Formats: sequence, structure tokens, C-alpha cells
Amino acid sequence: MRLIKIGLTCLGVSVLSSVMTSQNVLANNQSNISANKNYLIKNATLHTATAKGKLNNADLLIRNGKIAQIGQNLTAGSNVKVIQAANKHVTPGLINASTNLGLVEISAVSSTVDAATKMPGAGASFDIAAAINFRSTLIPQNRINGLTRAIVMPRSSNSIFAGQGAAIALHSTMQGILSENVLQAASYGASGAGKSGGSRAAAMQKLAQALEDARYLRKNENRYLPGFKWEFSQSIADLKALYPVLDKKIPLVISANRADDILRLIQLAKTHRFNLVISGGGEAWTVAKELADAKVPVIIDPIRNLPSFESLSIRLDGAFKLYQAGVKLLFSGGGSHNAYLVRQSAGNAVAYGLPPEVAIEAMTINTAETFGIANYGQLEVGMDADVVVWDGDPLEVTSNPDVVFIQGQKQPLVSRATRLRDRYWELKGNHQQAFKRQ
Amino acid sequence: MKLKLLVIPALLASLLGCEEKEVAKKIEVEKPKPVYVSTYQPLGSEEFVITNATVLVGNGERHENTSVWVKSGKIKGVGQTLQYPKDITIYDGKGKWVTPGLIDVHSHLGVYPSPSHEANEDGNEMTEPVTAQVWAEHAVWTQDPGFDLARAGGVTSLQILPGSGNLIGGRGVTLKNVPSITVQGMKFPDAPHALKMACGENPKRVYGSKGRAPMTRMGNVAGYRKAWIDATAYKEKWDKYYEAAEQGEEKDKPKRDLKLETLAEVLRGNVLIHNHCYRAEEMAVMIDVAKEFNYEISTFHHAVEGYKIADLLAENNICAAMWADWWGFKHEAYDSVRENVAMVDKANACAIVHSDSAIGIQHLNQEAAKAMAAGNKKGLSLKPEDAIRWITLNPAKSIGLSEKVGSLETDKMADIVLWDQNPFSVYAKAEKVFVDGALTYDRLNKQKNPVSDFDLGIVDPQGERL
Repeated sequence: MRLIKIGLTCLGVSVLSSVMTSQNVLANNQSNISANKNYLIKNATLHTATAKGKLNNADLLIRNGKIAQIGQNLTAGSNVKVIQAANKHVTPGLINASTNLGLVEISAVSSTVDAATKMPGAGASFDIAAAINFRSTLIPQNRINGLTRAIVMPRSSNSIFAGQGAAIALHSTMQGILSENVLQAASYGASGAGKSGGSRAAAMQKLAQALEDARYLRKNENRYLPGFKWEFSQSIADLKALYPVLDKKIPLVISANRADDILRLIQLAKTHRFNLVISGGGEAWTVAKELADAKVPVIIDPIRNLPSFESLSIRLDGAFKLYQAGVKLLFSGGGSHNAYLVRQSAGNAVAYGLPPEVAIEAMTINTAETFGIANYGQLEVGMDADVVVWDGDPLEVTSNPDVVFIQGQKQPLVSRATRLRDRYWELKGNHQQAFKRQ
Repeated sequence: MKLKLLVIPALLASLLGCEEKEVAKKIEVEKPKPVYVSTYQPLGSEEFVITNATVLVGNGERHENTSVWVKSGKIKGVGQTLQYPKDITIYDGKGKWVTPGLIDVHSHLGVYPSPSHEANEDGNEMTEPVTAQVWAEHAVWTQDPGFDLARAGGVTSLQILPGSGNLIGGRGVTLKNVPSITVQGMKFPDAPHALKMACGENPKRVYGSKGRAPMTRMGNVAGYRKAWIDATAYKEKWDKYYEAAEQGEEKDKPKRDLKLETLAEVLRGNVLIHNHCYRAEEMAVMIDVAKEFNYEISTFHHAVEGYKIADLLAENNICAAMWADWWGFKHEAYDSVRENVAMVDKANACAIVHSDSAIGIQHLNQEAAKAMAAGNKKGLSLKPEDAIRWITLNPAKSIGLSEKVGSLETDKMADIVLWDQNPFSVYAKAEKVFVDGALTYDRLNKQKNPVSDFDLGIVDPQGERL
């Protein structure tokens, strides 16, 4: 609950609506939203990311930060701004299932990077949320390009457990923190082996031992007296950080690519009774049935198709094949600076067979469901109004957002990059002119 | 000894004290021979025509319901009323689009191949800051599966460059994207070499961290200048040797120095400068370095701040090769704007979309599409026929091959992509890819597509990787 305290100190108010998924939920300040205008988007193609799929020529009303109504021929009423959107498309604001947003400003400038720690003893207990910088220039640059939410992952360093990830909305204030500790991240495959003396076998042992120790500790915590010498494979803090995994309150996201690695992780999840999410998944499609049977979602960047020795089978229709087998897809892509390019990755998955509405679900509701982000991810009455109006097919590389709402707040389509662009747009050789304030 | 004999008449003439002005007999000296020569042979092509397609010529033109006729590996004609023989192969292009084969001026396929691991990293000879003596082609692994993937993305020519860890990293090579056991078998015949130079953070980080020069951008520039001073002296030495031979005067043959030889070839205009340079002010300084030593810069690569000095680029006839949207991985890549390519193009400078990525090279059309859309969102009206230049004719110009490839014009090499739809779409796929008229990739007949040795039997002993 210490986290909630931080939230309250910074933000003042606690709120009704959002997200209370796990025990560590930050207040979601909506004080600004109440002052917001209401909006009616008219005559758009709505990609709902619900069972209703795509609605043509439909209207969507945003009121008090929420999606208040969806239908045809809705009337605006007083105090509602109308957005004409004929020939335009509307999706939920997109989410990228694996980013370091707020943890990196310039990748090669280490003082601006907080994604990983080499601190001894910081494994599963490493909680990335405290480092997220909502004033980062990456936040507006992604926001104006249609990304309204992100999963922020810790990056693995020395420990096989990378730590706890968070869910954010792309506000430029602390208001953006939605949910700390929505996941625990770990490494398997070559990366996990590298953190385990060089063999996957040791990595598997380490993962299994940690889970076993955590379960034992939780069961027997009260039997030990203060000062007792604990003998466990991980620090007490790290083992305690695995409790929510054991309770299935949060998933354990394990990076793996090789088919046999994935099969062994499915087995590990069965044995130790946790919710597994595979991230990477280069060869996941070759074991799609097993993943589907075990209900294991996969975080995948579908544009990635370069073979490595643990991703020999990787291919552009991998996401499609996973979908065909019934695996839930969560899309990542574009790194952090261009996390919005998850959309291009998704478009490529569609080019290789994935139904477009499934691709949109993989950038919205699937990720929300997997990480317990409530009230977000669909165009559905009652949801937070994370809504993007696109000037064309939302999966198309030539499309761009016309309007972006996050929790009902209309976002200015301005970033540092657009400021630079505007400064130099009409320069015509006058280099002095550039430095004037706009 | 052969050379000495030739000298004798001239010597005799002077010994005899001839008064009359005689033209000295020229000495035949050995000129450098072409080495590591291309053995590329077109895979063999039949005469064919693609009919009724939307044709993006590559030079800014677009023609609807148009045919592209190929004979003997060359473009025989592009038009609506071509008189081609009736018995040649006809590909129905209705509803489809035809473009020149795409060209990537910045690839590390083969020198940083897949699978990516330390033993395969052959692009950066980071043992001294100037390694003009190394050649990328000596390290290209032709079995890199990335070549096949790039071909499926419509890339028919690509320039393989050394990396950017050094001030001067070495020679780059232009390849035809064809399957080959040897790199010579891929080399684009008679294509000029590149010389890779790098500004900014990389070289100063690599050497500065070792306590060596360059440690600063000042040191970078001092390093280039020293290299060009040495190269100028070297070139003069050889020029004098050759001039003397022309005059019939025998001189000791200078000893070859591979590093300076490459630099001298730049000064002679035979090797083209491809300069990795992000920041506006560094590009402006590099333009002045080139002026100081009388060489030309073909292209600035990764010109993230190209938009800030687009006028300078145009004025100096320098291409800018850019990503659509990469940014933020280094401070020098922080001022990226998504309209960069469009803004450079708008200034009438030579704008290029490059990949520097084994994934990006498979989707150059998408990268160009994003750059086009970004410009249009800001108010330009760029069309596919404009944006296609960024991945065809402009890169061809950058690598000195615009007379041979980069546009669908008569007598040019028949490097052609047939797309299943408008290539400026995420859904577009290269359906057929022709290199010198040879069908080298066919999405509809995958059994006939080349498979690299790497791919063979590696996933399934009896099957294919893809």
C-alpha cells in the first residue's frame, strides 16, 4: 500500500472508476477530466475490439472521460463538441505490451536509462514503477501517434527475474500511472541461461527453485523467528515479490523463443501453478496448440522474422498461426521511442493472414485483460475514453491520428518532434530564423 | 626489366645531345588492375511483358494500364501500345503495380548477418580509427538468410557498408541481390566502391574509451584531415610516378599502401563517400572537410537532422539517406522528425530512405510510405510516384548507378518488382522480383525460390525453414 500513498501525495484525489486490479493500484486522478468537454464522434468506422467487431457509420459519445454511448444518429446535446468523422476510423487508444516508456530517454546515455539494475539482490523485488518519468519526450511522441497506454517492463540484467512491470496511460504527469506491479518478468532461453552460468538447464532449475522457495516461505513465514538464518535460492524480498505470481494475481512473463523452451515453460507453469505469458515467442507458432491448450498468451512483435539459433522457425505469419490455434496475442514492436509502431507490426501480421480486428484486439483489449487493466481496451459504454480517430485504416502505415483522447482528455497533437518540424518547415536557407521562439 | 628497355631510346637521345625538341618516349608502366572482380552473371531471363499494370517509373512518373516489356535482361519498353512478340511470357498486371527493384544504400547484410552473434560480426575493424584498407566484400557471408528475406521485400540491389565505429571504416560494395556461393558472384558489375566515413558519437566513443584519439568531435575532424593529408601526399607520389612515365622518365615505383590507395581513389573520384552523420552542424563541417581536400560527398547516411540543412544538401548536391522515424537511441539521433525525408525532398535535395536493418530492408516500401504520409499530414501532396524515388532512383544516384538501375527506362537493367497492390501499403507484397530480367523471387511459386545453405534442413531435415 505504500504505492497508493505516493499516488495520493502527488495527485491529491482518489477516484471511483479505474482499474483496481491488484493490491498495488495507484489512484487515477480524474480531477482534470471533470472539467473536460464532452465529444460526439459522428459517422465513423468503429473498431470496437469487442465481439461486435467493426461498426460502420457509427457515433460515439464521450462524456466525463468515459465512453457514454455508441450507436447511430446520436444527438449531441448541449455542451458537446461534435467531431465529424465520415471516412475516418476509430479505435481504442492503442497499448504496446512491452516497452521501457518512461525508463529511457536516450538509450546510449546511461544516466537517462532506468530500465534495469545490476544491484545485487534486486531481482523479482525490483519494482520499475518508481523510475517512470512521465515528462519524458517519448510520452508525447508516442501519444500523438495513437498510443495511449503501455506496459512498462523492467529489462533483465543479472537476475533471471527482471522484476515488476507497470501499466501506464500516456499522460505527461504522474496521472499516467495506472497500476504498479501488473506483472513479474523473467528470462529463459539463451538470456536466462546466460544469467544461470551458461545453461538453460540451470536456468530452469533456478526458476523452479525460486517458485518452490517462495511457496514454502509464504506457507512457513510465521514459523521463523526474527534473526533466523534463511537459506533460500533468492533473497526474502525477491521471494515475497513472487507471492502475487503464486496467487495468480499477476502473470509471470517469461521471455523465450525456442519451441522446446516454450514447452518446458508451459510445464513449469503447470507444476508451479502460475499464469504464464510468453514474451518473444519466435518459434511459438510451432507449439501453438500446446500454448492454446494451456491458455498461455504470447507477447510478440509480429514484424520480427530474423532467424537466430533459438528462433530458427520465426516467420511473418507466426502471429496468424498462433491466432489460428486459439492463442491470445499481445503485440509489441517499435521499441520504446517508437512504441506506437506496434501498429506497423500489427499491420504486417494482417498482411500475412491475421484478421484485422484480431490485430486491433492484440493492441488493446488482450493486453488489458492479461494485465488486469480495467475499463480500457474496447469501444464499449462505460470504458475510459481512450479513443483515437484515424484518418484512414488504423492498421495502414499511411494512416495517422486526427484526434487522440486519453481518459476523455483530448490531447494536443504536439511533441518535441513536431516543434522541431515546425521550426524548420519553411526555413528556406535562413538559418538564423530557426532560433526564434514560435 | 621490360620497363628499362623502353627507357633506352630516351636515354640515347639525351646522351647524344640532340638539340631538336623530341617528344620523350612514354614508358609503359603497370596500372592497377581491377581486383576481386565481379563474376556476376544474370541468372538467365526469358523475354516477357507485364501488362496493364500501374507503373511507377522511379523518376517521378506514373502510368496507368501500362506494360513493361523486358528483353535480354533489359527494359525494352514501357508504354500502353508496345509491339512485343505474341509468343513471349505475359504476366497479367491488372490491379497490380510495377516499380523498379528497390535499392538500399545502407545495409550490413552479410557482414552483420543472421543469426546475429559475435563470431559473425564482421563490419567494424575497430583496431584503429582509420581503416580505409578494409573492404566489406571480403567479409560478406553470402548465405546470410537476410538476403533472401530482402529479396522477398523487393530489394534487388544493396550497398553493404562497413560499420561506423571508425572515422573511416573501409570500402563498401554494391551487390545484386541474387543467390551466390561467392561474393564476387553478387557484385554489381562495374559499380563504384563506397568509402564509409562516420561522424559523431561512435568513433569518439570507441577510441575515447580506450584513451586514444579521437576522444572528441574535434578529434574526429582532426582524424579525417590527417587521413586526407596523407592521402593527398600519396596520390601526388603516384601521380608523379605516372606523369614521369608519361614523360619517359623512369622513377622508382612507390610502394602500395592499401589504406592510402583507397583514400586516393576517393580523391580521384573513383570511390564514393558515404558518410554516417546525424547532426546538422557536423554535416556542414564534413562538407567543408570535403572542400578542403577536394573530394565529393555522395551521401550522408542516417541524416536525422537533414531537414535542418536541406538547403545545404541541395546546394552541394549531396544525398541524404534517412530512416522514416528512428530516433533517440543516441543523443545525436534525438532531433528526429517524421517529416525528415519529405522535408529534404521538398528542398529539392536527393532524399533516400535506407534501412541499416535486416528487418527494415524487407519493408523499405513501408518505410517510404510512412515518410510520405508524414509529409502529407503536414500539408504536402506527395504521391507514390514521388516517394518511390526515395527507394529507387535516388539511391541509384547515391551509389553511382543511376544510368543502369533505379528507374524503368529503356535499356536499363530489368530489375523489376511486381507488387500485388499499391506498394505504399502495409498489405502490399512483392509478388515477383526480377533481377536483370531473371525471375529471382516468385511469391506464388515458392518451391522455385532460392534457398540459402543456412536455411537448408536447419528446422526440419526434410523440409524448408520457411
